[in-house]
Amino acid sequence: MLMPKRVKYRKQMRGRMKGKATRGNTIAFGDYGLQALEPAWITSRQIEAARRAIVRHVRRRGKYWIRIFPDKPVTAKPAETRMGKGKGSVDHWVAVVKPGRIMFELSGVSEEMAREAMRLASHKLPIKCQFVKREGTSAGE
Amino acid sequence: MDQQTEQVELIAERRTVIGKQVKRLRRQGWVPGVMYGHGFDPVPLQFEARDLQHMLSHVGGSQLIRVKVKGQRRPEMALLRDVQRDPIRGTLLHVDFYRVMMTERLTAEVPLEIVGESPVVEQKQGILLQGLSTVEVECLPGNLVDAIEVDLSDLTEVDQALHVRDLAVPAGMKILTDPDEMIVRIVPLEAREEIEAEEAVPEAEEVEVIGEATTKETAGG
Repeated sequence: MLMPKRVKYRKQMRGRMKGKATRGNTIAFGDYGLQALEPAWITSRQIEAARRAIVRHVRRRGKYWIRIFPDKPVTAKPAETRMGKGKGSVDHWVAVVKPGRIMFELSGVSEEMAREAMRLASHKLPIKCQFVKREGTSAGE
Repeated sequence: MDQQTEQVELIAERRTVIGKQVKRLRRQGWVPGVMYGHGFDPVPLQFEARDLQHMLSHVGGSQLIRVKVKGQRRPEMALLRDVQRDPIRGTLLHVDFYRVMMTERLTAEVPLEIVGESPVVEQKQGILLQGLSTVEVECLPGNLVDAIEVDLSDLTEVDQALHVRDLAVPAGMKILTDPDEMIVRIVPLEAREEIEAEEAVPEAEEVEVIGEATTKETAGG
């Protein structure tokens, strides 16, 4: 699963997810992509599940890219613990995703196959997504 | 290489609404734009969204367009320089046109058109990876082409690539993009199935914190 190797600070504040993605909102490497339509924290487990769904469907025919990285630590307190005594320990890692962000890209496969792979991947994610093609063709689904 | 055959015409109106007020124009079915060029003052324009969308569906950044501004007698020759779209809905937000002087050399982005099929990809021994989809060129406006062809039939082995230097450049045109930049490459298929490889999942807490180890060492020693 994806997570940083080294960080500067162990814990972070939650932050906000206002607005749309201003970077990473166009297809850069592949021919097809999966674009987020809602803001969310995507956990490394969800990214891994979506990745597996894509790889399983395209087998060895295509090349894929993961355009998001879970670099934000999320803390949690152990079960049945009283409140207080400071912030909990790091539980998992998430990627902050805003609407418009291209999360996965795919190339080397037919459009039909890419659509199906992205559909399967989108079911592993907690947000609404849309299938997009490289510039020159309009976004849609 | 396709030489330019037909000229596209686009009707525009001068725009008086500027700044954030252009949102109102967009709601009324207009797309704000601007036309500028060497030796000309920039002119704010507006286009009917439907006409512009229709034109953009078959015109690239290297095709000359006759922009006819209402109230002006002669149309202006221009190149499409920039198109801003809503990243989610894909709707047009703004367009830039570059007014050209037919006697002055200019730089433009010419799209690369992939033709033919590599035998390696056909036999499913490799995947075609595309690095560049346009190249920057310098030429006279009259020498611009719609697209430069990239022939894949020469790619007969895995890991073979075509670079900018391999392109057949039309007469009167100079390519400004780095000649060593890769256009396409045949990459081998992934040798192993990565799916089932169950690796030991590292604990979220196990990430090294920069400076923490050194601080502890200093405190201890």
